[in-house]
Amino acid sequence: MRVMLGLIENEVLKILRRKRFRVILVVLAALLCVVVFAQNRQQQNQRRDHPERNWRAQVEKRAGDLERQMNQRRGIPEQWKRWMRYEAGRLRYHLSKNLDPNQLTGPMFTRAFAGVGSVLLIPLLIAVFGADLVSSEFAEGTITLLLTRPVARWKVLMSKVVAMGLFTTLTLLAAFFLAWGISGVAFGWSGWGAPILTGFRLGGASGAVGFDLSGVRTVLLWRDTFAAWGLAWFSALSVGSITLLLSVVFRSAAAAMGTMMATLVGGTILSRVASDWDGAKWFFVTNLPLPDYYAGLPTPFEGMTLTFSALVLLAWALAALTAAFLLFTRRDVTA
Amino acid sequence: MSASEVVLSAEGLAKRYGEREVVSDVSFALHRGEVFGFLGPNGAGKTTTIRMLVGLVRPTRGRVVIDGHELATEFEAAMRKVGCIVETPDLYKFLTGRENLEHFARMIGDGASARIDELARLVHMDERLDGLVRTYSLGMRQRIGIAQALLSDPAVLILDEPTNGLDPAGIREMRELVRRLAGDHGLAVFVSSHLLSEVEKMVDRIAIVHRGRTLAAGTLLEVTENGAKSLEDVFLEKTGGETV
Repeated sequence: MRVMLGLIENEVLKILRRKRFRVILVVLAALLCVVVFAQNRQQQNQRRDHPERNWRAQVEKRAGDLERQMNQRRGIPEQWKRWMRYEAGRLRYHLSKNLDPNQLTGPMFTRAFAGVGSVLLIPLLIAVFGADLVSSEFAEGTITLLLTRPVARWKVLMSKVVAMGLFTTLTLLAAFFLAWGISGVAFGWSGWGAPILTGFRLGGASGAVGFDLSGVRTVLLWRDTFAAWGLAWFSALSVGSITLLLSVVFRSAAAAMGTMMATLVGGTILSRVASDWDGAKWFFVTNLPLPDYYAGLPTPFEGMTLTFSALVLLAWALAALTAAFLLFTRRDVTA
Repeated sequence: MSASEVVLSAEGLAKRYGEREVVSDVSFALHRGEVFGFLGPNGAGKTTTIRMLVGLVRPTRGRVVIDGHELATEFEAAMRKVGCIVETPDLYKFLTGRENLEHFARMIGDGASARIDELARLVHMDERLDGLVRTYSLGMRQRIGIAQALLSDPAVLILDEPTNGLDPAGIREMRELVRRLAGDHGLAVFVSSHLLSEVEKMVDRIAIVHRGRTLAAGTLLEVTENGAKSLEDVFLEKTGGETV
């Protein structure tokens, strides 16, 4: 156990001294600044263009537009229709409760970022530091020293798995606090106690026009945010496990990172394009937006639920880790 | 400790990659306090053999026993008795020499980190220990590599072509260090090389390996028939004068 703590200390030291993690923090902060700036501008423009209009009128118009488009325009993909039906229903319900669905606060932004970030951004950042956890030891030749010390190979890999978990957690914490801190500058930091409506669901079978309100409930924003970021963390850990496997398979960090990025981007496209082929629901990328599925946003495929997605991600993570351990402990280290 | 005590033995080692047998039958024993030269032309299977000695490559046949522990089944106990540099001494370049030593000391435990300063003095690196490895010369990296190999207080030191890339002063310093470690500290030092003149000055016993087999083994005098032949003649005779 003492040796295991030492090994973990080694891995943490190496990640920090490689400076990749600092790059991740800078990228996150820069990106959040841009997004917050853009949203702030949009809000200001709306206020300037329609100073007289109240929020009810705006929401009313938006819901009406959606419903018109849904019914009139032909050739809209079924997936978009599902989303439009969902959004219109959500807006109508907010109107009936007299709550402004668009009221933006720092905490609201932070909550929304969990969903948006866990699709592509956070997985990509994890791929940046995770891809060279093992492959860099091969690329730099240090693997020969690392594996000729009196420590069994599985322990060496275990320390890297733990380090991956630690830094994934740190990435999520950093993303949370940066999102809150930066958005707070523009929209205010308070508002964690705001009541929000969640649990919207499309009702009935495919094609039905229903909107199921039975699951709609009011929760306090901080609770909802906590759950959403917890789920984002779960997604991120599964991405970390798969990245680690690629890092064991490839001897170059660039190859591991490139493969992971291509998979993430390809998978995102797949779930948007191939909505007919529901085999794609078994692919891990399709299941990454757990916070969105938790919030009740329509899933890309019928029959997907939060539990389903969480289990698929868990299975992928466990399979990836098993494969990584088998490969790492058996492989001959030559040249 | 008796001088003839065996601390490492390789028995019938073989390694096959697909159809190609890189090492066919390599056997030898290392004794406490001796410097053992492992000679062979390039491509004779020296590096693969060394990788099998330290557990990087799994032998197809044969076994390695280090200080009574079989490598395949008691890896940690066996490797505690071994320090090695396989090919180049690749350290973490973005860490300092001291941080590298601390990194590997943490893998050993048992107060290995307390030996860092003493070992740095032994390899004359105590003054540059806090510089980044990136800024070290090859000779300095080689010396930190040896300090690293000695952290666990091993019984066997395995060096793969230790004088490769060193200048004449570096070569002499390396030779003296190796002799001192065997003489004063009682280590068994295993040195692989294809440079005969270099090895002749440093070793007590040698084995010549060619095409994956050990051909001759013994003291320098035995192999050269009491000096009747030069080591070079014996080497060329055994290996058929093949060059690469």
